[in-house]
Amino acid sequence: MKAKVFTRRQFLKLSVSAAATLGLSRLPMGEKLFAQSTPSKKPAVIWLEGQDCAGCTESVFSCLTPDLRSVLLDVIDIRYHETVMAGTGAPAESALDAAIADGGYVLVVEGSIPIADPRYLMVGGQSVETTFVEAAANAAVILAVGSCAAFGGIPRIGIPQGKPVSYILSSHSISKTYINLPGCPLHPTWFFDTVLDFLAGNSISLDSSKRPLTHYGSKIHTNCPRRTSNSSKKFLSDWNAASQQGFCLYNKGCKGKETYADCPSLKWNDGVNWCIGNNAPCSGCTESKFYDQLSPIYSR
Amino acid sequence: MATITIDPLTRIEGHLKVDVTVENGVVTDAKVVGTMARGIEQLLTGKDPRDASFVTERICGVCFGSHGWVSSLAVETAQGTTQLPTAARLLRNLIVGACWLHDHPLHFYLLSALDYLNLGILTNYTGSDTNILKLKNLVSAELNNPPIEGEYAGPFLPTYAADSYCVNTLDSVVLYVQHYLDALQMQVKAKKLSAIFGGKQPHQSGIITGGVTKLPSLDQVSQFRTLLNEQITFINNIYVNDVINLGTGPLYTLGTSNVGVGYQNYLSFGGFPESDGSFLYPEGAIINGVLNASSRTAIEPNITEDVTKAWYVSTTGGHPSLTTQQFDLNKTGAYTFVKAPRFNNQPMEVGPLARMMVALKRPSHPAYNHQAVQAFEDYVNQGFQAGAVARHLARALETQVLCDAMVRWLNELESLIQSNPSTPIHDTAHWTPPTTGQGYGMIEAPRGALGHWVRIASSKINRYACVVPSTWNSSPMDSSGVRGPYEKALIGCPVPDINNPINVGRVIRSFDPCLACAVHILTPNGPVKKFIINR
Repeated sequence: MKAKVFTRRQFLKLSVSAAATLGLSRLPMGEKLFAQSTPSKKPAVIWLEGQDCAGCTESVFSCLTPDLRSVLLDVIDIRYHETVMAGTGAPAESALDAAIADGGYVLVVEGSIPIADPRYLMVGGQSVETTFVEAAANAAVILAVGSCAAFGGIPRIGIPQGKPVSYILSSHSISKTYINLPGCPLHPTWFFDTVLDFLAGNSISLDSSKRPLTHYGSKIHTNCPRRTSNSSKKFLSDWNAASQQGFCLYNKGCKGKETYADCPSLKWNDGVNWCIGNNAPCSGCTESKFYDQLSPIYSR
Repeated sequence: MATITIDPLTRIEGHLKVDVTVENGVVTDAKVVGTMARGIEQLLTGKDPRDASFVTERICGVCFGSHGWVSSLAVETAQGTTQLPTAARLLRNLIVGACWLHDHPLHFYLLSALDYLNLGILTNYTGSDTNILKLKNLVSAELNNPPIEGEYAGPFLPTYAADSYCVNTLDSVVLYVQHYLDALQMQVKAKKLSAIFGGKQPHQSGIITGGVTKLPSLDQVSQFRTLLNEQITFINNIYVNDVINLGTGPLYTLGTSNVGVGYQNYLSFGGFPESDGSFLYPEGAIINGVLNASSRTAIEPNITEDVTKAWYVSTTGGHPSLTTQQFDLNKTGAYTFVKAPRFNNQPMEVGPLARMMVALKRPSHPAYNHQAVQAFEDYVNQGFQAGAVARHLARALETQVLCDAMVRWLNELESLIQSNPSTPIHDTAHWTPPTTGQGYGMIEAPRGALGHWVRIASSKINRYACVVPSTWNSSPMDSSGVRGPYEKALIGCPVPDINNPINVGRVIRSFDPCLACAVHILTPNGPVKKFIINR
């Protein structure tokens, strides 16, 4: 299959006003913006689902900013996404083939990929591992969204042996830029900031687990509003107790001291609440140890 | 004779393949295949029982909340809880109820509507709606002959050619597309609504073994009420209105035909517990038109799972408390990862249509007199068949029943908090796992009857099993050669053009498939026990 390779310049032309359309004020560092009206060609996205639950898709579709209608109509061209695309069966398969052939897309992977046997996940007559390898070849970048794609997630200890994107790339000796966006599910802002940063040509600093430092750079504990309670040893022991509201959830299994994510500041669902704010201990869902090495969730 | 494979069948949750045989323009045979397996329940063995609600919630990222809730019920029973605090019951109803308010309109607009809209007609649009104009430009470019290179209207194109069941008038297509875009925003807000009490969505963290984690403030109650009212306005004025207009208008012929009619056996476990022990949506089982069970205790013992055509070792079927899960990918005759649940050896449809049918068989239950249920009965009396359109009507109308209940539960919760700011939310006495225990939970999830079974030994999970709504519906053939509900519903489905099998997708999607749910793994060995069910 012929790879259509975009030069960086071409890709920027496509992408830059996509970001501008959403009113983002961030400017790329060291890059010149092309003053341009709405592009006629939007950057393409191929979204592959492995052993997923669709929770990351649902989470990406759970934000008010950016406006999802603008995302669909102005910003990106979703060439393939089994949960939302109109095409089914043959039209869907040909849409995927055409998108791969055109190349230069953002390849999103949601869910782990089983390696114990290809028959644990077959779509369109071939294993998703095969499809992923084909799609990876012509991708501009790969985003492993959610803990399953980033680190294997809950399915990694299942019999089918779900593996993350990094493992599949490595086992096929594919060298391609990928970014891990773990979380169970990931936060929509982590997704859109990363995609839009990439499209705008911003440099994205990653940690040693390939997670963007913008959102995964600090521990939950560092910015937790209950940190004072932790220091003064006020630990919640009884969810019924009105006197314990706001107490530290350490004794209820909170993994905030070892988990990198900006949940305390972003919060969830348009900032309306978050796990710890709701008296639920942090499960550590952005960490590579999640889930099996962080169990039990609710105790230590 | 032709065989068509549709793989992937899109706009569902999960991975599904459909093989149909078409003769003389109708489907004469169908095999529905769950094409993905993870092994989630098996990995719970040896874990702290309280992890189960967290992990099983992640079986599915669309019906979030339902698995967490039923899992908590199962583990609570096993750990000795006999009564949950009232506030916990109300908060669970509201957290998960809000998930339904996101789920049902999302299913209609984002997952189903594109089967019924001829988007090509937008090329004729001359109005001034900005979003419609954008879509018009994208569609025009992709449909241009030759296509303008690089111009793609994803995810709206490509798709099957429009047929006579598609809405072909410009004004109507424009309206439904506008509402599709409205629904995209409203489902975001419904998740936000749920998160007010649930912590976050997807994968809420507020429901745990023993109850919930937080009693909301009165401010949060007000916030919930405001967003709830916005949802109700959308649901009544836009969602239900659209489904009725579509069903009684362009889809009237489809709705009064046999397309998508299955066995007409229906099962409901009862959904959303009320203070008197009854359920908002009544429980019951209908076989051959007769309601032959109307309590959970009459239903649960008669559930079995057949694995004859599934990729599991042959001896691993039976009652969910007895089945085991060991893969056998080379098994002769097997074609799916989905097991075949049966009630009294019968295949059962679950979901909104089943809930409506059970309600209609229980005229002394409060649900029967709700105007939405009465409206559904009217459609049945007017000649609508129990097929694809009826399922969409049932789903929309039952949402109205839920909306009214959520207003009521919220008012009850508010009064409770006002009268007792320390009203309990958690059965702390049974928080620590016992050495041994067994239990199960049964609820209604958006797609139908959902059950989890658990056994505890040495204070850890020894066995865990799920029988999930889409397992019932997407079930394969069983050892008696009886097809599953999707497969049965496809028999007789018109496919006049084998290159455009659009009706197959319409029938399947009317069930609202959730395949990550349908394939599950579980079961341990052990004798059958009698359990107390928790609500």
